[in-house]
Amino acid sequence: MLKKLFVLACLLVFSATSAMAHSALMSCFDEGDGTITCEGGFSDGSSASGVEFRVEQNGKVILKTKMNEYSEVNFKKPSGKYQAVFNAGEGHAVYVDGKDIVE
Amino acid sequence: MKQLIMVFIFALVAGNALAHFQMVYTPNSALEKPSVIELRHVFNHPFADEHTMEMGLQHDSKTPAPVEEFYVINKGKKKDLLPTLKPITWKGTTNSAGGYASTYKARRMGDHLFVMKPAPYYESNEDIYIQQITKMVVNVAGAPTDWDAELGLKAEIVPLNKPYSIWTGSTFTGIVKQNGKPVPFAEIEVEYLNHDVDITANAMGKKRFSAPQDSFVTQGIKADANGQFTFGLPKAGWWGFCALGAGSDTEHKGKELSQDAVIWVEAKDMQ
Repeated sequence: MLKKLFVLACLLVFSATSAMAHSALMSCFDEGDGTITCEGGFSDGSSASGVEFRVEQNGKVILKTKMNEYSEVNFKKPSGKYQAVFNAGEGHAVYVDGKDIVE
Repeated sequence: MKQLIMVFIFALVAGNALAHFQMVYTPNSALEKPSVIELRHVFNHPFADEHTMEMGLQHDSKTPAPVEEFYVINKGKKKDLLPTLKPITWKGTTNSAGGYASTYKARRMGDHLFVMKPAPYYESNEDIYIQQITKMVVNVAGAPTDWDAELGLKAEIVPLNKPYSIWTGSTFTGIVKQNGKPVPFAEIEVEYLNHDVDITANAMGKKRFSAPQDSFVTQGIKADANGQFTFGLPKAGWWGFCALGAGSDTEHKGKELSQDAVIWVEAKDMQ
């Protein structure tokens, strides 16, 4: 029993360390064709494929999807102010303001 | 007396000859977001800046030979950048010589690994050719992608820590390779880019530090039995590492060729 608890404790510590050891990253650019491409990733180089991605405007979610196999999302550029959100879990969300996304 | 003067001249010439560095310069290697960056390609002596060399100078022609290869790798994709090179005259502290300027759109997140393979340069002081295959990495937004790629170049320094993510006072570690194989006990020269760079004027600017003695201008170190080396970086800015004669090509136009591997790394201050 004690051994099982120890293994569980070790696993918990290990998984917690893994989660803390890297940070979520996102970078976006204007394709110049009326669309925006956002790329997601992590500081340890791991893929962001399948991670949630949102576009928010005036506090509302106007697009909710997942990063593709290349850890990217391409979407139509919204008119007005907007935010791109890479949501890799609690404490791992990255926000990029639309005004900072340029060609 | 004549012999003594000859010895001094030889020592001066040899000293200068050892300190050549192919620069692939850009003002900042760690970009926060996608940016258009300026690059300058100059063959000089980055610490003392006592002489700038004409890139691609040949012994049998007044016309310099063109750059052999210049490309970038991002997320494993290679893009030829030779068409982006524009000839410039670079103004060093004591003379001017031909180099190149280029502009690059660092759009994608991750590492942009630049490789510059200039034509061999004829060094008349030694009657040899020098070709420095040079790597430099720019990162966008912090995601690591290609910085540690092993390209299997004829002469190459493969980094073991990110060349754009080094605190001042910490270290850089690399492995010297020839066609993908480590070069045991490779001879490496290290120089600090000891001048401000005026990228608009294509010129070297103000000198930063003075060396207490000549051995500090070009620091000579050696790799270990596995071709690996580590060097501490005491000041912020660009540091060049050059593995002398690490390449597999040894002759050009019937003359001896030193095919060297160069990598540039940038240290940044904690602020």
